Formats: sequence, C-alpha cells, structure tokens
Amino acid sequence: MSMCEIATAKVPEIKVAPKERGGIINPMYDCQPTGGQYAGIGIKDSIPLVHGGQGCSMFVRLLFAQHFKENFDIASTSLHEDSAVFGGHKRIEEGVMVLAKRYPDLRVIPIITTCSTEVIGDDVEGTIKKCYQALADELPGRELHLIPIHAPSFKGSHVTGYDEAMKAIVKTMAKKGEPTGKLNVFTGWINPGDLKELKHYFAEMGVAANFLMDIEDFDSPMLPNKAIETHGRTTVEDLQNTANAAASLALGRYEGASAAELLKKEHEVPSHVMNAPYGIGNTDAMLRRLSEITGKEIPESLVRERGIALDALADLAHMFFANKKVAIYGHPDLVLGLAQFCMEVELEPALLLLGDDKGGRYKKDPRIAELKKHVHWDMEIIHNADLWELEKRVKEGVEYDLILGHSKGRYIAIDAGIPMVRVGFPTFDRAGLYRKPTIGYRGAIELAENIANTLFAHMEYTHDREWILNTW
Amino acid sequence: MPMVLLECDKDIPERQRHIFLKTPEDDVRECLPIANVPTIPGSLSERGCAFCGAKLVIGGVLKDTIQMIHGPVGCAYDTWHTKRYPSDNGHFPLKYVWSTDMKEQHIVFGGEKRLEQSIHEAFDEMPDVKRMIVYTTCPTALIGDDVKAVVKKVMKERPDVDIFTVECPGFSGVSQSKGHHVLNIGWINEKVGTAEKEITSEYTINFIGDYNIQGDTFLLQKYWDRLGIQVISHFTGNGTYDDLRCMHQAKLNVVNCARSAGYIANELKKRHGIPRLDIDTWGFNYMAEGIRKVCAFFGIEERGEELIADEYAKWKPQLDWYKERLLGKKMAIWTGGPRLWHWTKSVEDDMGIEVVAMSSKFGHEEDFEKVVARGREGTYYIDDANELEFFEIIDLVKPDVIFTGPRVGELVKKLHIPYINGHAYHNGPYMGFEGFVNMARDIYNATHNPLAYLAGQDIRDPTPLVMPERLREVA
Repeated sequence: MSMCEIATAKVPEIKVAPKERGGIINPMYDCQPTGGQYAGIGIKDSIPLVHGGQGCSMFVRLLFAQHFKENFDIASTSLHEDSAVFGGHKRIEEGVMVLAKRYPDLRVIPIITTCSTEVIGDDVEGTIKKCYQALADELPGRELHLIPIHAPSFKGSHVTGYDEAMKAIVKTMAKKGEPTGKLNVFTGWINPGDLKELKHYFAEMGVAANFLMDIEDFDSPMLPNKAIETHGRTTVEDLQNTANAAASLALGRYEGASAAELLKKEHEVPSHVMNAPYGIGNTDAMLRRLSEITGKEIPESLVRERGIALDALADLAHMFFANKKVAIYGHPDLVLGLAQFCMEVELEPALLLLGDDKGGRYKKDPRIAELKKHVHWDMEIIHNADLWELEKRVKEGVEYDLILGHSKGRYIAIDAGIPMVRVGFPTFDRAGLYRKPTIGYRGAIELAENIANTLFAHMEYTHDREWILNTW
Repeated sequence: MPMVLLECDKDIPERQRHIFLKTPEDDVRECLPIANVPTIPGSLSERGCAFCGAKLVIGGVLKDTIQMIHGPVGCAYDTWHTKRYPSDNGHFPLKYVWSTDMKEQHIVFGGEKRLEQSIHEAFDEMPDVKRMIVYTTCPTALIGDDVKAVVKKVMKERPDVDIFTVECPGFSGVSQSKGHHVLNIGWINEKVGTAEKEITSEYTINFIGDYNIQGDTFLLQKYWDRLGIQVISHFTGNGTYDDLRCMHQAKLNVVNCARSAGYIANELKKRHGIPRLDIDTWGFNYMAEGIRKVCAFFGIEERGEELIADEYAKWKPQLDWYKERLLGKKMAIWTGGPRLWHWTKSVEDDMGIEVVAMSSKFGHEEDFEKVVARGREGTYYIDDANELEFFEIIDLVKPDVIFTGPRVGELVKKLHIPYINGHAYHNGPYMGFEGFVNMARDIYNATHNPLAYLAGQDIRDPTPLVMPERLREVA
C-alpha cells in the first residue's frame, strides 16, 4: 500500500454474501459438539459426556489443550457399531453411572449429542429419566444434574453449538428463588485474560455479577502441592440463580445471547444483548449500559483506563496503521468487533470471513450496518466462509497488509509473507495469548501493540522502511 | 496375581483384565492384558475413532493427495493441525483439509450430490492436484450414501484424476486401529498394481509403517540411498499416491509399524509373493540390526556394515554422553501401541533408562505379547488406560518422564512430571542413529529442568530447597 495514494471519488462496494462453493477447503470452524463441550467444562464439578464416536471428544480435548495448554476432563459414551444398529441410550446410562461412581465430587454431567446419535435418534431426555432412577437406586442421596445438549454436527458450527449449549444449560438448571441482585453476564467465547478484564470492570463499577461461564482457571497454576485446579468455576448454585438475577447482559449476539433471551422468556429476567466489547466504542457502550441498568456511576478510574488506551492507540493509528488493508476471520462476534476496532485505529478492514453458518441472519447485524455507513473502500463480508476464501484471494493477487485470525490460517500468512496477528480461538502457535485480554480498553491496547510490533518485525525482516523506527 | 485391580477401578472391575504387572513367577502367555475390545463409556479413555485411524494416521500423510472428508465439518477440522508430518513439497499434508460440510438437508435427502460437487470444486480450485482419497464418516455411513458410485462417476468425467474411497466411519471398530485395517485392505484390493514405475536398482523395497514424523522418513532415506536401495513406496511418510499403486514392484517389504500397516505387508506377501521383514527403526542396536537384515536379504552385507560403522562413529559418543546421565531414570510410555515395544528395550539398552509403566490406546494382544516379552519386570502393562488409572499408576511407579500426547502432558505437568510428545516428538526426528540421539537429548533436557525443582518449592517454607549444582551440563 503506497503511502501517497490519491483518494478517488469511486463509490465503495460493500458485498455481503455466502461463499459460493458448497464444500470446504480448510475450515475456520469446528462442529457443534465442540461448542457444547466448551460450555460444559466451564461448570464446576462437571464432566461433559459426549454421546458419539470417541473422536468427537478426543480431538476436542486436544484442541482445548492446544489453545489453553491445559487438560480438561471430557468423557465419551464410546459409540460402536452395535449402538448404531440398536440405539446408544444404554451407553449413556452406563457412562453416567461410571462417572458418578468414580468421581464422587461430580455434580453435573452435560450430555452432548453428535451427528451419529442424532441420526440414530437416541432419546436423550428419556434416557436421562432412566439415569435418575438408576442413580436413586444405586447411589441414593447422590445429587447429580444431567443436562441434555443437542449438538448435531450437521447444523451450524462450534459457535452455534456453544450458544445452544448455554441455552440448554440455563434451561435445565435455572430455578426460581430469592432475587440475587446480581447480573447474569453471558461472556461469549472468550479467554481467561478477557474474563479477568471483565471482572475488573465489574469490580470498579461495584456491580455483582454471575459470569457464565467463569473460565478464569482455564489458566491454572503448577502448585507445590501438585493440586490440579483446571476447571470452570461456575457452580450449580450459580446456574440455578440465573433465574433470580436483576438482568442478563449478553456480550455478543451469537455466543450466549439465546440463553439471555430464554431467561427473559421463562423467568422474566430482563435481557440486554450487546456487541461484544472489542474496541473502545463497544467497551464504552458496555459500561454505559451497565451504569444504566444498575444506576451506578462510571468511576474516574475507568475514565483514566480508557484514556491510557487512547493514548497508546494514538501513537500508532495515523502513523503506522492508516491505509493498511486487513483480512479478518473467526467467530462472527469477534470478526465484526475487530472490524469495528480497526475502524477506530484507521486500519481498513477489507475482507471479513464469518466462521459460522447462519445464512442471511448476519445481514441484520447492526455492526454490519454501521460498517457500511463508515467504510469508504471496497469491503467483502463472506459468511459460511472457509479459509480458502482468503488464500484464494491472496493467490489471485488481492493485497492485504495484515491478517487477524486464529492459528488454523497460519500458513496463508507464512507462505505469502503477510504479517499476521493471532487472535480468537484457537491460537496454539503463539505463546500465552489466552492469558491476555482482547476485549475492553486493555484488550484494545494489547491488540494494537501486538499489531504494531508484528508490523515492525515484518518491516525489519523484509528491510521495508525499517529505518523509520530508527527514531520513534 | 499378575492382573491388577487398581483402587480407582473398584467400580469397573472388568478393568482388571487390562492391567498386567510383570513378575518373575508368572507365565507371560497365560496372562496378557485383554486388548482391542470396546471401551467402558464414561471412563475417560484416550482412544480416538476409526476414521482418524485411516485419515489422520495413514492417508492424510500423502503429499500429493486431496483428503476429501464426506461428513460434517468437524471431522475435517479435528484431523487437521494435530500431526507433525512435513513433506518435501512445502508441507502440503499439513496445510490442507477438505470437507463436504454436510448439513441437515443432506442428512435428510442424501449427501451424494454434495459430495460430487465438493470433489469437482476441490480439483477445480487446485488444478495441479490429481489424486484424492474420499472418507466416509459416522453420519454419511448411517444414511447410506453410495460414495463409490459418486467416485466412479467423477473419475469417468475426469479421466486424469484417480480417487480412492475409505469407508470407515468413526463408530466402526473399537479404536483407531479399525481405520488402519480398512485403509490397508482397501488399498491392496483396489489400487496396488494399477501403476508401474521405473526401476532404478536391483534392490527394491516398500518401506511400510513410517509416517515421516518430524522427518523420520527423510532421515532413513539417507540410509537407503547410501545402500543403493530403491524405495518403491513409502507407506506413507512423504509418500505419493502413485508410488503406493506400485507396491507390487518391490522385492521386499520392510515394516516398521506392524500395527497400522502390517496388514498390507501380509497381503503383499500373499498376493504378490513379496516377503515381509519387520524391523525396529528407533534405537542404535535395533537400527543396526534392521539394516543388517535388509542388507542380508539383498546380499549387500558389506555396504550395511560400512554404513553402521560410520553412523556409530558419528553418533555413538553423543548417545553415550547422554546415557551416562540418564542411567536409572524412570520413564512411562503412554502412546498408541507399537511404540511400547519399539522403545522399551531400546531406551533401556541404549540410554540406560527403565520403562516402568506403559499404556496402549489401540494395541492388540500381539502387541502386548511383544512388549511384555521385551519389557522389564515390575513394570505395568496397560490396555486403554483411563485418567484415574494414570494418576494411580504415577503414584505407584513415580516416573521421571512420560512419553505421551500434549493434553496428558499438560495434566502431568501439574504433578511436576515432564512430558515428551510420544506421538509427534518434541524435537525429532527420533528414528535412526541420529534420531535416537535427538530422543536422548530431549529426555535429558526434560529430566534436567530447573523448573521441576522450583515447582516443588513452597515459598512459605522456611527452608528453601537447594537446587543441585550444575543440574544441566552442556553436551
């Protein structure tokens, strides 16, 4: 991108469309059971039981281990041929009893279906009734919550699987009782670093929250006593109390919003569905809404934090970021949020690949409407996308100055020599990203500085005006 | 009793038949662990599925072949970015995976049209690639798509392409092992003998059951080149589709991984009269023995001895440096199956390491026969171990290092035990003479890590733990 390109009066073209091919070359999203499992491990004293072939849980456990560099306990019903013929419900019953007996502290078993067991048509709800009977007979007095989660792999993606699972968990567990005065916060699919950032805002605002799910310990320590503390922190009681909250805040439109809407419908908990808080404007909106809901003032400390972020971004935007074309891919809430963030720092989002499959639903997303208002260059938004959409454009000569996305697309950047900042899920080829925030003001700083340092390293490696940084 | 019922298994006592403690009194043949049987639901086993045994382990390694997975997107996503098999053409197998992305309407109305469309798209998008393997998955098998008919139609329309079909849904068999078998037998039935390649040496082999993990194949290829042996096909490390069609042209099948690829070697013997020679490629003694056997077959013993002597001169002093420092270290191996018997004696002989516990995900009884024969007394031999068993076994044997996958590696890290990637290696290759020095170096670095001492320290303890002097030395 030339720094002295002359602006023309051409009307920008903004295209929103699904990818044209039917098949996928290099998927940017996994299937629904993965989302179900991610929701399930966020619960304390929970081991999800995946009802399907063994690969459906084994590889997902590996995926989580790659991203978080931690182990998570997930069980399988180990479906085999006989179940495909005669039904697999007995495998669920056996799996539940084996887990109940061998893990005495276990309180929750989310039971997650897959494509095979949905095609076979196993009656999960009916089987759960039988399981409760068996538990009462064999382990009287044992409290165990079994949550049916339907996650056929031939629908949606791991993003919809997460959304469906959050809804199913809340539907099964929410129980009307005394008002807690707390806010339900559906965080969306975020990292431990993001959750810490959210907790910080709520503490600064003096607002009590029930974080769904509390995944802070997905970054867990090596301790002298060798204790293993890698697990969700959201308890059975937290889940039950979602019905008794003052309101629900869904930070994202596709990752937990359905659960907030369900609580509104079934338990009259007011629901606030917002943009995921990527970038300054979205974070501002979140804090303002928080203030409106609770009547609490936004404290001076957050005004200062916001100012520090702006101070950092201002050093980078018009000098280093302006006129740079960006390709972004990943979860829809993340991609649209990052595009908004790009607009704030003069980066120019040119290609957005939404990793999910919701057909035309994205066309109604207010973030896309907003982008359309402000973008003055050509922009493509492809939904139901795969990573070949990006690779193909790069191979055909479309120039991008920066790629923002998860590790599965790493070779596009490596082979084409395009600077790339890892963001989203999974980011296994960079160290420790799960520990850092991407949301909020601090997330904006992390992102911008990571982008800047990546661009700087690229300038040095390619001897491209690296001398600019000789003095900065 | 040599078969052990662990405390954590008291509610699933059938697990006793899967866990064997070798003692001097017992007749090994009487009491091998039961293997290759269904897993107990909810036991937190380590097993994968048959589909991954075919795609991820064998077919997906090929460097010139589109891997078309007919099913929902997850089966493709999950068997991508989980292996370390580079190739000499820019790592094609690591970079790409293909899915027909089955949706609900395809489940209801059938997925054949979607498959046909996806195959054409794949060839259109990558016009230089002319070979493909199509895999079925759980749902496409359940709805009964006629994949072979679709493939036949496409091959008729595109005479320059060749496509192989693997019908091996995830629920078939009890583990990955079923997928190995289906791919092996399918390939010999349909593809071996359908192409011929130029023969450049009177000594020709197929090298079977090596998947070029971190360049194993590249390293061994140097030996074959030096010996003047032409490798007709690599099954499948850095291999090509068409080379595998020429397997019938070799004079000898040299087999490393007998579990994943012994089937095709047996069939090549039966149908084409090509002898099967099993060798071990990990370890100095084993590698030397393997080279000697191959050379003896061709009557080129002298070349073999020269190679071995040169390699020993170059690498043995380095190995011995590590051996001196690894003597008596205790190791556990929790991998797929064959590496148990490939490694237990080689690390003992070459590095002085004691293997104290071994678990196999998908090994069969013949794997246990081998490993129990080669392994030590006082060692646990486990089939399809689960997580609680791992914890209990660790308490019993207290290993200094564990060879296993990255997820279990993260788990044992919390117990202050270092792990080394037993599937994909830490910094390999590990095969051959040079490779085994790499493996020794990785074990040394893992077991001489200052962090293990720091992790054991509670900062509230008034008496700080003293780190050993010169914990690490320079090799």
